[in-house]
Amino acid sequence: MILTGPAIAAAVAAGEIVIHPFDEERLSPNTYDWRLGEHLRVCEQALDAAEPADFPEIVMPPQGFVLEPGVLYLGHTLERTASERYAQLLNGDRTIGSLGIWVHVSAPLGHTGHAIRWTLEIRAARPVRVYPGMTFGKLVFLQTFGASASYQDLGRKYTQSAGIDVSRLYKEIGRRP
Amino acid sequence: MILTGPEIDAAVSDGRLRITPYDPGQVNPNSYNVRLGDTLLTYTEPIIDAHRPNPTRVHRIDAAGFVLQPGELYLGHTEEQVGSDVFVPLLFGRSSVGRLGLFVEITAPIGDVGFHGQWTLMLSSIRPLRVYPGMRIGQIMFFLSVGLIDPYRGKYQASEGPQPSRLWRDAQSVGAPT
Repeated sequence: MILTGPAIAAAVAAGEIVIHPFDEERLSPNTYDWRLGEHLRVCEQALDAAEPADFPEIVMPPQGFVLEPGVLYLGHTLERTASERYAQLLNGDRTIGSLGIWVHVSAPLGHTGHAIRWTLEIRAARPVRVYPGMTFGKLVFLQTFGASASYQDLGRKYTQSAGIDVSRLYKEIGRRP
Repeated sequence: MILTGPEIDAAVSDGRLRITPYDPGQVNPNSYNVRLGDTLLTYTEPIIDAHRPNPTRVHRIDAAGFVLQPGELYLGHTEEQVGSDVFVPLLFGRSSVGRLGLFVEITAPIGDVGFHGQWTLMLSSIRPLRVYPGMRIGQIMFFLSVGLIDPYRGKYQASEGPQPSRLWRDAQSVGAPT
């Protein structure tokens, strides 16, 4: 089941959900409306799942930054979110979708126990100017079923992200023969 | 509600969920990681026709990997057969894979209660990307359902390997223009 806006507010008050910074005005009927952080990493190169990749990082100026089709951008949410009780799904909102912007690349899930600024995987269908701090998407909180497991206890890769995390998939894949 | 990792593990043990092969090391707090099978399909005609069977070409991903090119659509598959007669599955990519710019599904994450088989992946990469067989590419989450269950009996049941679109079958049955 999906938490309503008032239920998200109550969970924040009870300490079951952390959203920082938290602004009640950003609560929707069943989501929290998150914002785009100011850092972007720009990937215009070929990639290999078995090799580490490093992309140049830029800071978007207040007058905005134009996203180009065909380029992969890693961004981040302005907010840090955490919950040991609820799973989370991050998506764009209708405004962002209508501008032809993907905010993740088929990977919306935040596991129970995440304590992160989310790394965004941004792609644009058309050239589009975006601005740091703009409302960018919606965050859903889901009730879980079964005994809980926390991301923090599993020694997983991205437990405490504060900025943009590049993929560390290469650590799982053996070197090419 | 979304199943926790421990509940996924319990459901595999008691049969509410079938994952073959199953490895407890692939269980996440709220999902199960699935691996990339070694077969890919691409459509060979310059225009895909939604109302006709579309010819495809088979590609094998060997240990040296296979480079996915932007602008091409690859149909891949999970190594695992995954299904449940109780829970609703949703397949997504993993964040590690998303950060490499690879979509593993195209606006179709939701599976059906009662579907059992290898899942077809719809692979579309933003940048050229080398992928490897057996890499943990996606994750399947499971949701509780409400109501009577009328299980899946559709056209992709018991799939093995990637399945091209079979919409044309539906189109024929409703007499759509071809």
